[in-house]
Amino acid sequence: MRKIWVVVQREFLSRVRTKWFVVSTVLGPVVMAAFVFLPMSMASGGGRERSVVVLDATTTGFGTRVTDMLNMRAPITATRMELGLEQLEHVADSLATAVGLKELDGFLIVTDQTVADGRAEYRGSNAAAQLDMEIMERFMAQALLAERLSDLGVDPEKVTQASSIGLDLHTVTIRGGEATEQSGRTTFIMAYFMWFLLYMAILLYGVQLLGAVVEEKTTRIVEVLVSSLRPFELLAGKVFGVGAVGLFQLLIWAITARLLLTQREVLGRMMGLEGSAQAFPLPEVPISTIVVLLVYFVLGYFLYAAMFAAVAAMSSSEAEARQAQAPVTLFYAIPAVVSLMAMLTAPDGALFVALTLIPLSSPISMPGRWVVSDVPLVELIGSILLLILGLVVVTWIAGRIYRVGILMYGKRPSPRELWRWISAG
Amino acid sequence: MLEQPTVEIMGVTKRFAGHTAVRDLDLSVPRGAVYGLLGPNGAGKTTTIRMIMAIIAPDSGSIKLFGQTKRGRELSQRIGYLPEERGLYRKMKVIDLLVFLAQIKGVGGRAARQNALEWLELLGLGDWVDRKVDDLSKGMQQKVQFISTLQHDPELVILDEPFAGLDPVNTGVMKDVVVKLREHGTTTLFSTHIMEQAEKLCDFVCIIAQGAKVIDGPLGEVRRKHGGNHVILAVEQGLDSVRNLLDDRTLVSKADRYPQYAEIELAATGDPQRLLYGLVEAGVNVTRFEIAEPTLNKIFIDLVGRGAATSAASREVGDA
Repeated sequence: MRKIWVVVQREFLSRVRTKWFVVSTVLGPVVMAAFVFLPMSMASGGGRERSVVVLDATTTGFGTRVTDMLNMRAPITATRMELGLEQLEHVADSLATAVGLKELDGFLIVTDQTVADGRAEYRGSNAAAQLDMEIMERFMAQALLAERLSDLGVDPEKVTQASSIGLDLHTVTIRGGEATEQSGRTTFIMAYFMWFLLYMAILLYGVQLLGAVVEEKTTRIVEVLVSSLRPFELLAGKVFGVGAVGLFQLLIWAITARLLLTQREVLGRMMGLEGSAQAFPLPEVPISTIVVLLVYFVLGYFLYAAMFAAVAAMSSSEAEARQAQAPVTLFYAIPAVVSLMAMLTAPDGALFVALTLIPLSSPISMPGRWVVSDVPLVELIGSILLLILGLVVVTWIAGRIYRVGILMYGKRPSPRELWRWISAG
Repeated sequence: MLEQPTVEIMGVTKRFAGHTAVRDLDLSVPRGAVYGLLGPNGAGKTTTIRMIMAIIAPDSGSIKLFGQTKRGRELSQRIGYLPEERGLYRKMKVIDLLVFLAQIKGVGGRAARQNALEWLELLGLGDWVDRKVDDLSKGMQQKVQFISTLQHDPELVILDEPFAGLDPVNTGVMKDVVVKLREHGTTTLFSTHIMEQAEKLCDFVCIIAQGAKVIDGPLGEVRRKHGGNHVILAVEQGLDSVRNLLDDRTLVSKADRYPQYAEIELAATGDPQRLLYGLVEAGVNVTRFEIAEPTLNKIFIDLVGRGAATSAASREVGDA
């Protein structure tokens, strides 16, 4: 055991004392800070102005009403252009050119028909921007409602009053039967963030194993090492050592994240973003989430590290190792991406649930699921147990391959040879 | 009571897919001796050494170290091992690397550090202690490798082809190391296919070829046993002038010929005095006439045969 510790120390220190480690550890919080402060700066009015022309071919005051409504809320600036139906297409064309020249973001066409059956048209360069279009739709709907109410004889003043109350849907996530402080959108962002973090971290550190094992083979130092260490001791030391570096880095990031989140008011003020913390509520990260994240990182890392080590042990050069790891990486990436898609579209669906239980994909998908929905404790524990089981099996096989492979050079072993390595006593 | 041999190999066999690398080998390395394991490439030397170190396991037979059946790794603190293919962690500092290699043998950190520093000073690398291995020249890296083998004062040192790839300076250093080890009482086992070195350094030799032992024992005894009458001859006018003598099969059974020099094995009925008389009668100027024991090189070639030597050498080095 003491010998394993020696190897762990070496692996840990030789990585932590490098420029790479320092740079990547610093970059992490920078990325996180961007995540935190960019939305804040956007919410405090940093968003780009949209200039829109309202082509008013109505014979009522609807066009005016729409223009006023759009102008009520930044970031849209609307100007009204009155014209007759027959001029519409012609003007539309010239406006389209203006849009092309970036003098304008787009134009809205409203006619008497709009009030009658709700049809209107928007043409612009930002038509694909969902958020912009949602805003536009919402205001138009309000204007339409106000107009119709007017037509029905409701007091115009009352209509104005009623229509100027915006809707603010406050979404709240319910976890464990209790409502939390967290909005739905924030929850989603956090789940995505966790997915991303785990995906990168497991892959990054798993691949380190690949390089480390191949290096020992190509420099031939492995032979001296196995005269003093059992191959399994060497492998275990490397896996733990590299994993410790990953955990260490994640810890630094976690602490930084917590600091950023709890101190964001102070920090935000220092950057001149007053009071914007309220405008963009950030997720709270309960300890249970952090624990789940760390548990799955550790288990997922061990699982894939073992696979990468086995692959490296089969290779005789860096180039060969890089080729050989491709299937493992695919094996990893495909379930990961599929689970992301499933999480976004159907977090309670059977596919996503299954993915959070299967050892191959559970490390990346379960933490996300934990954030977005209520995961029954039974399923969580089941997922972890299955993962541990899968881990043990894979590690055992990988250990067998490693033990023989590290002293072998030459052609990559055929499947039959591999089988012999694994089953050899 | 006879002292326990440091290394004892009994009836060991090792098969790899396709061929037998080591065949029913018996070998015994007495304590404190310098023991040469000799053979051509592919003979099974490295395989044997790896089995001694328990890096691979024999299919049958047993190996005892220091009289115990404990495996090589468990005794790693008492053994120094220099494999044929050597390597180092390139990005580590020299001192850190040496300490690491000592620690995985079970040596404590502080002792390891002290030993390493002493040895580095001794071999002239005192200024390079904190430098990365990458920064050292190849010769210096080789010295670092020697140090890693010896720094923990092992009782048994195993060197696989220690002279391979060494420049003349480091060859001298290695030779001095072996001599010093012997003076110190350390048991040394090394493998080589260069007979001249073995001859000068070994107390005991074992010649193996194609996985099987051909002969073993104290060097002098091996020479005498294989000996027969040998004469080393040099003649000023060149050997052509005495060809009839050398072709006389009642006198000379084999002759290893060079233009002016020959290593002669006399026939069973041959007598060195008769040869000398024959030379003098032929009127040649004898510049050298030595009744000698055969060189190890000759013994080797005779026993192993040129055919066996070349066919073994053409097999993959990895099976050696």
